Amino acid sequence: MSENHTQTGPLAREDVDTESPFTLPGFFAAMAEGRLLAGVCTDCGQHLLPPRPACYACGSRAVTIEEQPRTGTVESHTVVYRPPSAFADLAPFPVAVVELDSGARLTGRVDAPTEDVEIGSSVTLAIRDPESEGIDPAAALSYEADWPLHVFEVA
Amino acid sequence: MPTPTIPAVGSSDLGRTDLPGRDLFSAALAEAFADLPDPATVVDAVYVGSQSERYENQIMYGTLVAEWAGLRNVPAERVEACAAAGALALKNAVRDVRAGVHDAVLACGVEKMTAGGTEGATNALAAAFERALEQRSGITAPSQYALLARRYCHEFDVGEDDLAEIAVKNHRNGAANPRAMFRDEVDVETVLGSDYVAPPLKLFDCAPVTDGAAAVLVTTEEVASDLGAEEDTVEVAGASVAVNNLAVAERDLTYVEGANAAANRAYDQAGIAPGDVDVAEVHDAFTVCEALLAEAVEFAPEGRGVESPLAPAERSEGWTDVRINTSGGLKARGHPIGATGLMQAIEAYEQLTGQAGDRQVEGADTALLVNEGGLADAATAAHVLRVAG
Repeated sequence: MSENHTQTGPLAREDVDTESPFTLPGFFAAMAEGRLLAGVCTDCGQHLLPPRPACYACGSRAVTIEEQPRTGTVESHTVVYRPPSAFADLAPFPVAVVELDSGARLTGRVDAPTEDVEIGSSVTLAIRDPESEGIDPAAALSYEADWPLHVFEVA
Repeated sequence: MPTPTIPAVGSSDLGRTDLPGRDLFSAALAEAFADLPDPATVVDAVYVGSQSERYENQIMYGTLVAEWAGLRNVPAERVEACAAAGALALKNAVRDVRAGVHDAVLACGVEKMTAGGTEGATNALAAAFERALEQRSGITAPSQYALLARRYCHEFDVGEDDLAEIAVKNHRNGAANPRAMFRDEVDVETVLGSDYVAPPLKLFDCAPVTDGAAAVLVTTEEVASDLGAEEDTVEVAGASVAVNNLAVAERDLTYVEGANAAANRAYDQAGIAPGDVDVAEVHDAFTVCEALLAEAVEFAPEGRGVESPLAPAERSEGWTDVRINTSGGLKARGHPIGATGLMQAIEAYEQLTGQAGDRQVEGADTALLVNEGGLADAATAAHVLRVAG
């Protein structure tokens, strides 16, 4: 699995395969095992989530892989009242931009009553199966079919 | 180096129609060439902004519009960066003329957004956002911008009523613009009483789903003169594009850095400062965007962009005297995605040539256009236009 793959760039061409944590299949395979991975720039410290081969902040390709904490704080939030088709059964639902305790940030749905989500709310990241969440599986592309879904829960 | 010059512009009606995209283009082209020879005798190349093939199940729009304009074997291509597509087409036309590659280039944009109803537009627009983590979490265009709006209101003590005033102002401007989709003024109570789409954003904070097309001819000064358009030309003095992050989570939620970069490069090319701009069309896809962009392009101090509806004398210290979105903006003029950047250019053309009727800003000689695609400044195209000569 991904531990056996190159953990710090610059990547060589042969490093880029479906098990590398620098690719989406590798990132989601790790997530399915309960590990949330981010790239961290060894030159400027920028977090990159999901991991990618180069740092957008400084341009360095010396990006390394680090497992992230699953706890964080809501930076901003809203409620989706008019969802994309695949999410019709879930609406209305809250979504939030969350800063993890490491400083990495990601967006996700929040599995909580809308009034329980505020700027500064503490949340934890859960890893679930999209279909059991009520999302139309037909919306998944072929290569996404086995990817897990991250969801935040209010701590 | 040739000076890119705009001698003619045109647009279709904006709104909901049974005309498909190619026919909307025909209307825009007919207006632009009403007083000119056939396009085949003038146009060397074509760029067409088009956001999505999901509306009409049609790509190859470069070929299609060239054919519908009567152009044979010319270079023609579609450009795409969601809602920045129209200004990308303009930027490419300006680049080609400036570099001496072509003497006359048609920049146009087409979008047939109503074809799949609200659901079709919601799905097509969601494709502009990051797929793996954000689309798969159910985000939509309004919810992405609501994440910016919520944080902006939080950090700068701005209320939903402040954002509502931007919509009220843009509807007032749209009422004076014959090209606008909405010609009715609205009051702040109407905006605040409309349903939440993604709080704090309500229906009246959001630009509408719009069918429409626009065409802007960009030529050398010589060609513009040969076409007999001396009195009614404007010069493109600056043109620049910049990108920022695709994912909302990875960007600054209250500062549109990419728009700042694009605008400053356009200012530098034109040799002007932000305070020299008389009129600006900025990308108010959602009310909060107008506030964020007023700050990013350095018209307004941090946190005070929301004062754009106020008369210049009533704004905070540090604001310029610029008038923003005299066309009615995306909110009231309408937002036919791939054509929007060119609708902005048409408003600037009319202001700078004294053809803006009841919304004319007296003495306007310099305009800034800011067209964005994806979330906020995921892609920004900025142009400076000014009175020719």
